[in-house]
Parts: sequence; C-alpha cells; structure tokens
Amino acid sequence: MASIDIAAIHKSYGIHPVLHGIDLEIKDGEFVVLVGPSGCGKSTLLRMIAGLEAVTDGEIRIDGKRVNDLAPKDRDIAMVFQSYALYPHMSVAKNMSYSLRLRKTAKEKIASVVASAATKLGLDPLMERRPKALSGGQRQRVAMGRAIVREPKAFLFDEPLSNLDARLREQMRAEIKKLHQDLGATSIYVTHDQIEAMTLADRIVAMHGGIIQQVGSPLELYDNPANLFVAGFIGSPGMNFFEGRYLATGDTANFALTGGIVLPLGGTAKLADGSRATLGIRPEHVILGAEGPDTMMATVDLVEPTGFGIIVHLKLGPVAFKAFTLDRRFLGMHGEVAVKLPVPNLHFFNEEGRKV
Amino acid sequence: MASLAARNGGSRRDQRPLKKRLADASAPYLYSAPALILIVTVMLVPLVLGISYAFRDIQLLNPFSGGFIGLDHFKTLSQDQNFYRALKNTLWWTGWSVLLQFVFGLILALLLDKPFYGRAIVQALVFLPWAVPSFLAGLNWAWLFNPVVGPIPHWLFALGLMSEPYNILSDPQLSMWGPIIANVWWGIPFFAITLLAALQAIPRDLYEAASIDGAGPVQRFISITLPFLAPTIAITVLLRTVWISNFADLIIVMTNGGPADRSQIVASYIFTQAFKRLDFGYASAIALVLLVLLITYSMLIVVLRQWLLSKD
Repeated sequence: MASIDIAAIHKSYGIHPVLHGIDLEIKDGEFVVLVGPSGCGKSTLLRMIAGLEAVTDGEIRIDGKRVNDLAPKDRDIAMVFQSYALYPHMSVAKNMSYSLRLRKTAKEKIASVVASAATKLGLDPLMERRPKALSGGQRQRVAMGRAIVREPKAFLFDEPLSNLDARLREQMRAEIKKLHQDLGATSIYVTHDQIEAMTLADRIVAMHGGIIQQVGSPLELYDNPANLFVAGFIGSPGMNFFEGRYLATGDTANFALTGGIVLPLGGTAKLADGSRATLGIRPEHVILGAEGPDTMMATVDLVEPTGFGIIVHLKLGPVAFKAFTLDRRFLGMHGEVAVKLPVPNLHFFNEEGRKV
Repeated sequence: MASLAARNGGSRRDQRPLKKRLADASAPYLYSAPALILIVTVMLVPLVLGISYAFRDIQLLNPFSGGFIGLDHFKTLSQDQNFYRALKNTLWWTGWSVLLQFVFGLILALLLDKPFYGRAIVQALVFLPWAVPSFLAGLNWAWLFNPVVGPIPHWLFALGLMSEPYNILSDPQLSMWGPIIANVWWGIPFFAITLLAALQAIPRDLYEAASIDGAGPVQRFISITLPFLAPTIAITVLLRTVWISNFADLIIVMTNGGPADRSQIVASYIFTQAFKRLDFGYASAIALVLLVLLITYSMLIVVLRQWLLSKD
C-alpha cells in the first residue's frame, strides 16, 4: 500500500495533447475514481500510472519514489482490465499465480495465497477451468484475484465492469467495495459510469478534455458541482439547466429565462446585474403541483415511470426540463402543472460555466 | 416442417401416385448430381487412372507395352537403390527446408509485428520472393552458385570457406544444399505472412497484463506469443511439409537430381522416370508409394492434433 502523487502530468501523442497538467495526490488506502466521458484522458492517466504509456512531462511518484522511467513490473502495482486480459491457455489457478511464479515465490506460499484469494472471491470450484469456460462475472473475479494475490502497492481498475450486464455490474460493484474495505489498498478506478463513481469512491476526480474539473467526495460533487460540466455529468437524470440573464433589484433578484419567462429568486446570487448566466436545478428538487407564490405553469411533455420514481418531462415555454418525483399521483399527468424551483436548491453558473 | 410431414405421412398409407413418389425421392439426388458428376470427373477419374498405371507396363517408347503386370513395378521398386536414396534425400530436403523456412519466417514475422518507419514498404519487399515463379527462382540461384557468372562462390572463397571458387551444385556432398537454400529463400514469406497474421490477432492487453504481472520480453514470448501461435505453427508446418516433399521444381531446374542422383528426391525421381525415361508405369508406382507415405504422415499429424486438443 502506498500513496500516489501525480504532479503536472502532461501527455501528447505526437502533436496532439491529451492531458494538460494533471495534479493529484492520492492518500494511502484511498479509493479514487477517475470519471469522465470517453476521450477525456482518464484511461491514459491510469495507463501512465501503470507504466503502459510514457509520461510526456511531469512526475508520478508511488510511495514517494519517482516511477516515470520504471517498467510496469517494477512499479509493484496491479491492474484489472476492461477485457479482463486473462491468459486464455492457463487455468484460473495458473492465471492467478502467474505473477507469483514469475517472481519465483515458494510453491507453498503461492498455493496458500491463491487459495485464500479464491475463497475470498468465491472461485474455489472453478480453479481448474480455462477462462473461456467462465461467465463474464467469473472472469471479472479471476481478474481481480490475479490482482490481489500479489498484495501490490496499488490497484488500478480500467473500466472493469463495462462488459457486464446491469445486474451483474451492480453486484460486482458491491463486491469491489467490500474487497476494498477488507484490503484497504490504495485504488484508482476509471469509469465513465457516474453511478459507479458515486457508489465506490472516497474521492471522485471528474475529468473533461484532459483537465481535472473537480476533485471531491461523491456528495460534494453532487451537491456542490464546481462547474457546468460536473453539474451535468454527475446525477441521473442529469441536472436541468436554464440559460438566461440575472437581474438584480435591490435585496432580491430575478432570473429572466431565454424565452421571456422571469423567475423570482427571493434572494441574490454573486452575479453582476444583467449578466448572462445558467441556472441549474436537479430534477428531484423541482416541486410538482406546488401552491403559493413563485409557482409557474409548465406543460407536461412525457411521463417516464422508472418503478422507483417517475421522471416527468416538462416544458416551460420553449425550455425543456425534467422533474423527478416519488409521488405516483403524477403518473397519469397531462396538460399543465404548477411547478416551483425552490431557491435553496438552485445552482448558478456564470458565463464561463463556473459555479458562483 | 416438410420432413416432419413426410414422416407422419409415411406412417399411414402413402396416397401419392407412384410417379410423384419417385420424383420426390429422387429430387435431392438430381439437385446434387451436377456437382457430384463434376467432382468425380475432375478428381476421381485421373486419380484412378494414375493408380491403374502403377499396375500396368506403360512405356511411351515401347508400342507393345500397356499390359497388366500386377505388382511387378513394386517388386522392382523394393530393389531400387536410387529410390531408397531419393527417399532419404526427401527427408533431408523436407526437414531442413521446413525448419529453416519456419525459423526465419518466425523471426521475420516478429520483427514486422513491431511498428517502425517504412514498415509497409519492408513488408511488401519481404513478401516478394513468394511472387517469383519457382523455376525462375531456381535458375536465378543456379546462376548465383555458378562461379562463372555468380558471385557466391567467390564470396565464400574470399571468406576462406572454400579452397577455390567452385559450384556447390556439382559437389556430390553439397549439391542438396543449393536447392535447399533457394527453397528457404523462396518459402520464408509464406511463414512470415501466416505467422504475422496470427501475431497480429493476439490481444495487446494480454501483453500489458503480463508486463504488469512482471513478465520480461522472453517470458511474454513463451507464455503468450507461443501458445497463441501454436495452432498456426502446427497447421502451416504440416502443410509446408507435404508441399515441400512434393516440390521438385527447384531440384529439376538447379541440379536435375544430379550429380549422380545425389540430390534426387522422390518427387524429382518420379519426374525423371516419367518424362526423361518415359516409363509412366514405373513412375506411377513410385508416385503411389509417395502418396501412401504422405497420407500416413498427414493422418499421424491429425491424430496428434486431436490428442493435443483433447489433452486441453
């Protein structure tokens, strides 16, 4: 186990820059999730930590030791691949013991370590099988078993659950979290799935366009997104955005939506009078069937029941947005409905997309 | 559905008129007849004719020949010292040609698998020998070995490997090596192409996983590359062995089996018997023996493969 420091990391392929100066400190035993849309550079960063990609500029330290020029095998890390990358001609037991056999570990030690990992992952009855005779979830477990037998300084996960179906993904997610609680090993986990990020991470690193957008605990990113990208990426269904103009009038302020509708805010935000801004609100914060002051009439476009709750697609003038409710009264809703956007739940983003 | 209906119908009395029943029963055979007839005429007729020659006395220059002589050719063959030498030479020729083609082909494929500047051009150049007609390759190499027009004897002499620049094709001890070298040059691309294709089908993340697991280049080659190449290696070596043991072009062109039959393989011996001495009957008998040997070899390989697969 070890801490991992990433300082001013740059990566370019030829003239194409991919990562523009990444700084990140990962504490010993921490579970960090790199999340972002495909092409944001998260996998590249992970592969650079593993030593599979060369570092263009900057420094990576594992346990305080610079590893930029070390071969992957000398970094003492383990990696779980999206494709599992199991050796197809080796049995499960051989797959798991490969790294130990390469290191000339004593046979008795290998047997006991592999057996205990197999028990931990429920692989005992499968040890003599070849990977092709396993299901996706079992292969995933073998890949994790291969990683844990070595007791490496850190675990790297590269979208390990992407090839599984939804049910299995949920189950494996919980198993990974439990495994982390048992082993307490430093882990870096790459995913594009924000649910995985939210559920697994001690800290989430949201990336976009080769730049870190925000680092923080899952709820920090959810409740207090630093910018429009994070606000839109974290959460499902995603946050609603309304573009418009901020109009201050003394103690209180209004927000004029593009399209003519004016929202009374009942307070002020740190925006200049008359500046263009974006207002954000999470669907579950939109109050349906509201009464009293500051309500607006919205048109119901579509109702999506998810079983757990109901997603209502609404239109406020030309602007589409969504509301999420647990109240089944709204299942058969059509026509118009009174909605309220409660001020404490509003997020304001300035013209550059930063939260104010 | 149709067959189900037919079976159900069969359990009761068939109500269809005889003509209709005949037509229905013969339909599948009529449909497949054109293909079957074509295959039989093109493949089986020549084969049966060729085999029948082995039991007849057929000499082009003897107008009275053509009669059935039973196993006489085979009796002669069992006493024929030239045939036994040709058989030994065939093993020598096939073994060294396949081994060297495979080793060099594998090295070449491994080199071409790594990206480098100008790889496309190098790949095209490497595969060039395969495109040269075999008899041209043979002539070319024969000239290269010839001290009058070719440079190789002079180079070997300059390196001190030869006491004087002479033609190895006329040396009874060495003449076999001339065609073998030409064959290796000509056949490397085949192995390089097929092995390269197999190499490129290996998922790259396996190598990455292995390098993280702590495997160096040699260990990665042994535990990933070789197991992935094994099926391709088995099938290409099997194919090439059969082709090369039958492949007399280079020997006919370069040494014509000489000097004194020292570089004669069974295939070139058949050619010599058939088209130089015009004894088709005897040539067919030798060909039949070669056919039996190659079929035995192929069956052995197939059995070996099945055994290896079942062991998995």
